Amino acid sequence: MSSMTLKEPRSFFTKDTKSKGEPYVWFTGMGLVLGIFMIVSLLTLIFVKGFEVFWPDRVMLAELREGSPGAAGASRFLAGSIVMRQEKPVRDLTAPHDADTTELQLFVGNKDVYGFAYRFVDSSDILGRTYPQELMRIERLEYGDAMGKAAGLRVKGQAYLPASDPAFRASLERLVHDAEKRWKEIRRIEKSEIGRINRTMEKIRLKKKSLQASGEADVSERAAALDAQSSELQEKYEGLAREAARLRSMQKDSALDYETYTGEKKSLPAGEIVGFYYPNELYLPQRIAFLIGKIISFLTAEPREANTEGGVFPAIFGTFVMTVMMSVAVTPFGVLAAIYLREYAKQGFMVRAVRIAVNNLAGVPSIVFGVFGVGFFVYFVGASIDQLFFKEALPTPTFGTGGVLWASLTLALLTVPVVIVATEEALAAVPRGMREGSLACGASKWETIARIVLPASAPGILTGLILAMARGASEVAPLMLVGVVKLAPSLPIDGEAPFFHFERKFMHLGFHIYDLGFQSPDSEAAKPMVFATTLLLITLVVVLNLGAIFIREKLRKKYATGAF
Amino acid sequence: MTLKKLEPSPNFQNHAREIPERFKTRASTLFIDRFMTHFIKAGGIGIIAAVFGIFVFIFSQTIPLFKGAEVHEKALYQFEPGNYSVLGVDEWGELPFAAQENGLVRFFDTRENKTALVYDPSSESGKTVSAFRYNFNQQEFVYGTEDGHFFVTAVRYSPDYSTGARRVTVELETGKPLPLGDNRDPVRQIAFAHSGEVQLVAALQEGVQGLRLTALTLTQETSMMGAGELTADQVYDLTGLIRGRPVKILVNMQAYGLVVLNDEGRLFYLTLKGGEFKVRQEWQPFQSSPSPAAASMDYLLGDVSLVLTHADGTNVVHSLFVPPGGSERRFAETKRFQALPAGADLFHASLRNKAFLVASGSFVSLRYATTETTRWESRLDFDPAAAVIGRKYDSLLFLDSASRLHVFSLHDHHPESSWRAFFGKIQYEGYPDKRYEWQSSGSTDDFEAKLSLVPLIVGTLKGTLYAIIFAFPIALLAAIYTSQFAHPRFKLFVKPVMEIMASLPSVVLGFLSALWLAPLLETRVPSLILIVILIPSVSFAFGALWNSLPVQYRVLIKPGYEWIVLTPVLLMTLALGWHLGPVFERMFFVVTDPDAGIKIADFRRWWPEVTGTRFEQRNSLVVGFMMGFAVIPIIFTIAEDSLSNVPKTLVSGSLALGASRWQTALRVVVPTAFPGIFSAVMIGLGRAIGETMIVVMATGNTPIMDLNIFTGMRTLSANIAVELPEAPYLGTLYRTLFFGATVLFMMTFVMNTIAEVIRQRLREKYRTV
Repeated sequence: MSSMTLKEPRSFFTKDTKSKGEPYVWFTGMGLVLGIFMIVSLLTLIFVKGFEVFWPDRVMLAELREGSPGAAGASRFLAGSIVMRQEKPVRDLTAPHDADTTELQLFVGNKDVYGFAYRFVDSSDILGRTYPQELMRIERLEYGDAMGKAAGLRVKGQAYLPASDPAFRASLERLVHDAEKRWKEIRRIEKSEIGRINRTMEKIRLKKKSLQASGEADVSERAAALDAQSSELQEKYEGLAREAARLRSMQKDSALDYETYTGEKKSLPAGEIVGFYYPNELYLPQRIAFLIGKIISFLTAEPREANTEGGVFPAIFGTFVMTVMMSVAVTPFGVLAAIYLREYAKQGFMVRAVRIAVNNLAGVPSIVFGVFGVGFFVYFVGASIDQLFFKEALPTPTFGTGGVLWASLTLALLTVPVVIVATEEALAAVPRGMREGSLACGASKWETIARIVLPASAPGILTGLILAMARGASEVAPLMLVGVVKLAPSLPIDGEAPFFHFERKFMHLGFHIYDLGFQSPDSEAAKPMVFATTLLLITLVVVLNLGAIFIREKLRKKYATGAF
Repeated sequence: MTLKKLEPSPNFQNHAREIPERFKTRASTLFIDRFMTHFIKAGGIGIIAAVFGIFVFIFSQTIPLFKGAEVHEKALYQFEPGNYSVLGVDEWGELPFAAQENGLVRFFDTRENKTALVYDPSSESGKTVSAFRYNFNQQEFVYGTEDGHFFVTAVRYSPDYSTGARRVTVELETGKPLPLGDNRDPVRQIAFAHSGEVQLVAALQEGVQGLRLTALTLTQETSMMGAGELTADQVYDLTGLIRGRPVKILVNMQAYGLVVLNDEGRLFYLTLKGGEFKVRQEWQPFQSSPSPAAASMDYLLGDVSLVLTHADGTNVVHSLFVPPGGSERRFAETKRFQALPAGADLFHASLRNKAFLVASGSFVSLRYATTETTRWESRLDFDPAAAVIGRKYDSLLFLDSASRLHVFSLHDHHPESSWRAFFGKIQYEGYPDKRYEWQSSGSTDDFEAKLSLVPLIVGTLKGTLYAIIFAFPIALLAAIYTSQFAHPRFKLFVKPVMEIMASLPSVVLGFLSALWLAPLLETRVPSLILIVILIPSVSFAFGALWNSLPVQYRVLIKPGYEWIVLTPVLLMTLALGWHLGPVFERMFFVVTDPDAGIKIADFRRWWPEVTGTRFEQRNSLVVGFMMGFAVIPIIFTIAEDSLSNVPKTLVSGSLALGASRWQTALRVVVPTAFPGIFSAVMIGLGRAIGETMIVVMATGNTPIMDLNIFTGMRTLSANIAVELPEAPYLGTLYRTLFFGATVLFMMTFVMNTIAEVIRQRLREKYRTV
């Protein structure tokens, strides 16, 4: 505390006017700086890395020194966009070393040609850097992106169209567009139509199996009817499969010829091209437009190539469905328990003990809940349901294996303490005067709770629910045990009766990150996708949390001023 | 809102005058209110009970782990009378057989209660059988004959499901008799094993000069048609290698080793190497006893452990392992069991696990070698002449002297588990010493599961320790600064930032630590060391420096705004430390490459060379740092709350008495809030203990027991996440993982409860101040 303003004899605070221990205050300030620095730099890292994935960076054509270890093959040229720049540490103290020890990591693409997509090149090895305008980056269905100079277009039944032709780009764009439409058609046939036939045939097979198992006398006639149905479907299936095969062969009719900057000539069927652009020619607005387009396709597309390419739509949808189901399960139970604890239970030692215990439950490791989910829901409840209702499908489990229902119930248990604690706090914050006013007006206890207390505490309950949702959306460990998968063949909700398929396995953003980052065979190639997914998940969680904080602050102000 | 009258109390209603209609409460309102009261009470209690039921359920799943074996007599069958010495059974327990001393085998059909098949090896082979042995693992008889020949008979059981129910049938395939060398001495004992194409027969033959030990290697041609003709390869006369009169020979299943027991209780371990037999080891297990002769000697499943008994009932296991300093595997005592009443008459090793059955007179005991426990023991009301454990470890069969077959059902689902297996030091097969080890599954059938939870608990504590070492100082200093010194307006922004930090998904932290931080830090440990030294000293030095400035400069920074000035200073320090790291490394962490003789500055090589411990990329340092993100906000929030809640009167009093703000904080606020800080650390610990994804991703998940900061670990939670998806339902591993979850739950729940109770007390205390 400053004692400057006091008019005292100088001798009173004599030796110095400094208060004791000021350096220590600065020292404690370090803690805050470090804490804030950690979180800010982490979020910045994720945002930068996440957006970098979508950003159409310029591609450099480097001329390398003869014999550079970074070169691909015999060529002295290498085209690539700079991913990372780092200092190489000097290890060998006895040998002389260069002044420039930076090395660049380049994304060079063309994995089918080189066998790698990323390459480290010493900065001192690069003799010249150019940014050719005509460099084309092609997004493909397989092997990641290709980079090179377009040579020409071979279209079935048309003359060869060289890249120098002004109509080249427009025709290539049209071809890619047509190919995409055909892919959609193929997907529709193979996934929904053939899928539906397969499921119907499976149902018929199970019906037949249970018919035979029933031991009734006159089964042969009905079995024959089922057989007939089945063979009819089989015929339909073959027709569809032929159609799909025809479309697939059409995808290869036209092709794009291009040449990589290391000199290899390649030809790519139009059906393999997802998109193309000229990264060195784009202006800033075009780059931003490209970025937005990429983000939209990331959010809406299905994953490709073992999840390392394409989008994350099924994971978003799976996370959403699971979180919603969890909220539906957790809200009534959490609120009911909180109302009991706060309004009905006799406040005493027992209730205090229960309250402490409930508080602590929020700190129990999530994996413990996962263990319970596996043992109780999947193996006990699920297996019993299978025994009762899905006997004909056994030994293939229906509910007796992980699924979105069990996952959301497990997470509901995990988050129920969060909701109970938040609701209790919200109920306690409702001023006593409001309750007494209501009771004095003749309302019964339940009416007071339902009409006065609950509406007043709704924002608090909502805060708790949002926090629970944020926790549910970001939790992975228990989900790994109860039904999350790397790649789910179908969504948990779709257009097929009965529309809600709660027994299905599902994809989840958090698990997507784990799987890509940890279990992917080529972790370098998976990295951009993991960063993009991380950005999405972090955004989701941070927005949910900020929402909760915002509501809480509003609530605090309301009660601070609007007391009775 | 409509106006309603308060409900009058019922006993008042009786005496009072009629209440006007408009004051009466509607019956439905009363009914709903009563209904909701009951509903909420039942529902609330139900939900809370259900939530706690979770842990009751998890705990209940672990109870069978600690149960012993249950054995009940199930059936009794009468065999044709005979002098039986060996009992065998098929996998389904339907067609047991008994073999007589002379080699005659009778198969008994337990469904039809009659003899199914009689096999006489002497008549099948045309030679008089004088000795035989049954190899339970391969289901083969090996017979030795009066004229020094031997032959192998394979027992082939096959289940037949064609009639709907299972029927087991048996076929026997008699091999061609081959001579055991040139002599024609009668065989008194024989042993046989084969492993791939290598086959080994050992026999004791009654010669003119006494018992001779012969060994014979064989090769079997394998062709497209399957196993072909057996041809003798080489005959060895091993009599000279052993001393005394041999009483028992065993051939190991890898078909290269031979154990011989003589009448003085001396064991000889002979191995075949380079076409020659050598005595690798000679020892006397019961050396200290006045009569060192052993009563029995048999192999356990896997043939690396010998179960030995002595006439006084001592029961020990000797296992093969490479002794410290040695280069070859040798036998030594590894286990000692509760003594039997006398030496074992009967022995059978389970084919499923490391359990074995020993009988001494009518006393039988089922023991488990790994854990040195007795699973079950009993004194039977008959004297067993032969005994066998069912192939699925689900039954015990005894044949008594009256040729009656007693079938006992055996319910022992988790023989390998015990308190000792989970928490005790055990010398596993092949290990030179007792240790704590987790290795739940292996590639072979005779794998010995190692289920010690100790390395996992140590790993958990190790991760937690490093997380706390990193997080606690930062969180506590930040809490003290925020609550005591910072301008209150910063609180409005610091607290939400910390909440956001707390909500970061752990999978994101795990991924960043594994794919971003670990490779980054791997080469930059010296930078990190430098930063750890520089940051605190610079902040302190800067504070001291600033405060030694004349007052007109000092007032430029208002109290509570120090951290804003400190931020760029520390950022610069950080950058400085990062870039000076390699220089630092070249100065202090230099090793000389022994091959090339050049000096190399590399911390990754310096650390193992100086400390003798390993350096891994995914290590505890990375885990500790990333877990800091999860733990710092928790400690910060709770500590900050308790520091802020210290009554203002105390602070004002202290300041008024002339203490500086630092003195007030250190001597008044922190001691008062100490219980709160303590509980903050406890709750932070709880969070770190249960953290799963960061550990799964950022460490190598090796269950090791050390506290080296540059190696990884495996925690209880990571272990569950990694192994539970693959664990068979209700198997030992499954239940053990549930047990691990129980331990984890107890650790966190106890810790959190202590913290919570302390916090509540603190709150009460403040209320009175």
